[in-house]
Amino acid sequence: MDVTVAEYIRRTVLKIPRDEIKTMLQKWGFLSETQLQTINFHQIKENISQDVVQLCEENSADIKQAAVLDIIYNHIYPNKRVWSVYQMNKTVVCFSCVTGEETEFFDLTDFKKKFKRRLRSALKNVTINFREYEDNAVWIRIAWGTPYTKPNQYKTSYVVYHSQTPYVFISVSVLKSNLPLLCQALVVASNYHDIHEMELRSHSLNSLKDIVFKRYSQNFQTYYPRPLQERNVAPENGDLRIIQENRNEKERIQRVNQEVFGDGPQPKLEFAQYKLETMFKSDPKMDVLDEKEPFRCLVKFSSPHLLESLKSLAPAGMADAPLSPLLTCIPQKARNYFKIREKKGFFPGSFVSP
Amino acid sequence: GVFAHLEMLEARAHEAAVKQEETEQQEEKLARLKARVQELRLQRDELRAKVDLQQKGQLGKEGVLSDPAQPSARAVLEWKIKSVKAMLQVFYLTGISGKLTKRGVCFCISTAYEGTYLDSYHLDLLTKAEVQIHRHSVPIFIPLEQIAKKYLQTDIRRFLSVLSDHLNAYAGRRYQADQLQDRFSDRIEGTLQRNSLCNLLVFNYNVSSKSKTFPFNVRLLYGDLCCSLPTEVTVSCTPDAPASLAETAAAHSDLFRRVALHKAFRSFSSAEESVD
Repeated sequence: MDVTVAEYIRRTVLKIPRDEIKTMLQKWGFLSETQLQTINFHQIKENISQDVVQLCEENSADIKQAAVLDIIYNHIYPNKRVWSVYQMNKTVVCFSCVTGEETEFFDLTDFKKKFKRRLRSALKNVTINFREYEDNAVWIRIAWGTPYTKPNQYKTSYVVYHSQTPYVFISVSVLKSNLPLLCQALVVASNYHDIHEMELRSHSLNSLKDIVFKRYSQNFQTYYPRPLQERNVAPENGDLRIIQENRNEKERIQRVNQEVFGDGPQPKLEFAQYKLETMFKSDPKMDVLDEKEPFRCLVKFSSPHLLESLKSLAPAGMADAPLSPLLTCIPQKARNYFKIREKKGFFPGSFVSP
Repeated sequence: GVFAHLEMLEARAHEAAVKQEETEQQEEKLARLKARVQELRLQRDELRAKVDLQQKGQLGKEGVLSDPAQPSARAVLEWKIKSVKAMLQVFYLTGISGKLTKRGVCFCISTAYEGTYLDSYHLDLLTKAEVQIHRHSVPIFIPLEQIAKKYLQTDIRRFLSVLSDHLNAYAGRRYQADQLQDRFSDRIEGTLQRNSLCNLLVFNYNVSSKSKTFPFNVRLLYGDLCCSLPTEVTVSCTPDAPASLAETAAAHSDLFRRVALHKAFRSFSSAEESVD
C-alpha cells in the first residue's frame, strides 16, 4: 500500500470523534466485521488510527477507497466546511427549452460519465469519487493535482447535487483556480448551459438546501384547519398583583413575528453581509461628504444562528416589529450577501441589487 | 259401544276445559294491559304537570316567554362555526383551496394518492397589477416556471389544474417508490436508483421459478410528468435464465405499465405463494 494512502487514512481516522470511529468504518465497509473486532476502540485515537492503517495494509487499500472514507466523514460532518450555492440555467436560445416539452430524466450513470470525461479531458491528475444518498443527492469528491503533479488529497473540493434541480452546493476549500473547470464539468454533465454563484453561503449545508428547495417553514395564509396554537400567555402562578401593562403590544409582536418567520425552525446561517454604497446624509451645516460621493460601508451581522436571533429580537424588546425587510427577506431571496445602492428616484426604499 | 262413547265425552270435556283456560288467560292479559294503560296515562299526566310547572317557573324568573324549541343565540353561533369549518374542510379535501390576502390570493394544493393524503404545497399570488407568484413552497424540480409562463396570465384555473396534476402525479410516484422500498425491500437486490422527480426508477428484483431465484432488472421511465404510471417499461433477465422466464418478464412489464408499483409487487408475492 502506498505510504501517502496510509498517511491519508490515518489522518482521516484522527479527524473522527472516537465514539464514531467504529460506525464510520462499518459504513465504509472496506474492513470486514472480523477485522473490526480486532481493534480496541477504547484506546487513544493515535493507536486506533495505527491499527486501522495496519488492517488497510492487509487489504491493500488504494486511494479510491481511502477517498470513500473521506466522503463518508464529510457527509456526516458537512458543517465543518463552508458551502456556496451555485445556480445553473438553461438559456432561452435552446430550442427544446422554448417548446418546453422536454422532460428531464436524469440518468445518473450518464451524469457521472460526462462529468468525469469533461474534467479529465482538461486535467488528467484528478481523483474523482461519487457517492449517492437516499435523498437523491450525489456527492462528488475531487482531489486536484496539476498537469505535472499527482492529485493532492488534502486539497479537495466537494460538490453536492440533487438531480433535476438547478442548484449545486460547492465547498471549495482552496485552489479557487480550479473552480471554472469544475463548473464547466457540472454544466455539461447535468445538461444545463451556464452556472453562476448565488450570494448565499453557510456552514450548514442542510439549511442552504432548505432555503433553495423551499423546505423551510413559510407562513402561508390558508384556511387549512390547523389546531389552534396554545396561547403562550398561560396564567402564571406568580403574583396576581403584577399586571402586564403592554400585553397587547406583546401579542402584536408575536403575531407579526409569526407572520414573517413562520412557526418552524429557521434555516441556519452564520452571517448576513450588507455592502452599502449609499450617500451619507448629514446635517447640511456639517458639510461632511454630504451628497458628494457614496459612503462605502460594510455591515455584517454574525451569529451562531442568525435567523433565530433575528426572530427573537422583537420579542426581546431589542428591535421594533416588523423588522426591516432587508433582514427578513433573506430566506425568500435566498441570499445573505447584499449590495445596497441609492434609491433611483421613484423606487421606494433602497435599491437592492439582484 | 260404551267405551267409545265415554272416550268421546272425555275428549269433549278436555276441549272445553282448554277453551276455558284460554279465555281466562285472554281475560287476564286484557286486564293487565288495561292496568298498564292506566299507569302510563298517569305518568303522562305527571310529566305534563311538571312541564307546565317549569314553564310557569321560567315565566316567573325571566319574565320573558322563551320557547324551549328555539335554540339559544350561542348554540346558533356554534352551529354556524361548525358548518363553516366543515365547508372549509371540504374545500381543502378537494385538493385546491384558496384564501384572499391583502395583495392577492394564497392557494393551497393538496396531494393524495389512492386514498392516502400526502403533502400540501402553497402559492402566494399577487393580483394587483399582473398576476405574479410572490412566494411558494413548490419543490424546485417541478417545472413551475414553465407552467406559469404558459397559463398564469391567461387562465389561472388551468394553471392551478396543471400544477395540481404535476404535484399529484409526483406525490403518487414518490409514494409508490417509498412503498416499494419500505415494504418489499427483501425482494430488491442492491439499491433502488431514483431521482428527485421519481420519474426514472432502475432496480433489480428477484423472481423465483421452480425453487430457484433469478434476478430481473427493470427500468421504469415516467415520460408524462402528470401521470403516476410509467410510459416505458423495460424488464430484462440475465442471459442464462430459462426461456420460460421471458414470458414472466413480459407479463411483469405489462403489469408495471398498468398497476401501481407496490401493488404489482404485492400480486407477485401472492402469485408465488399460491404456486408454492
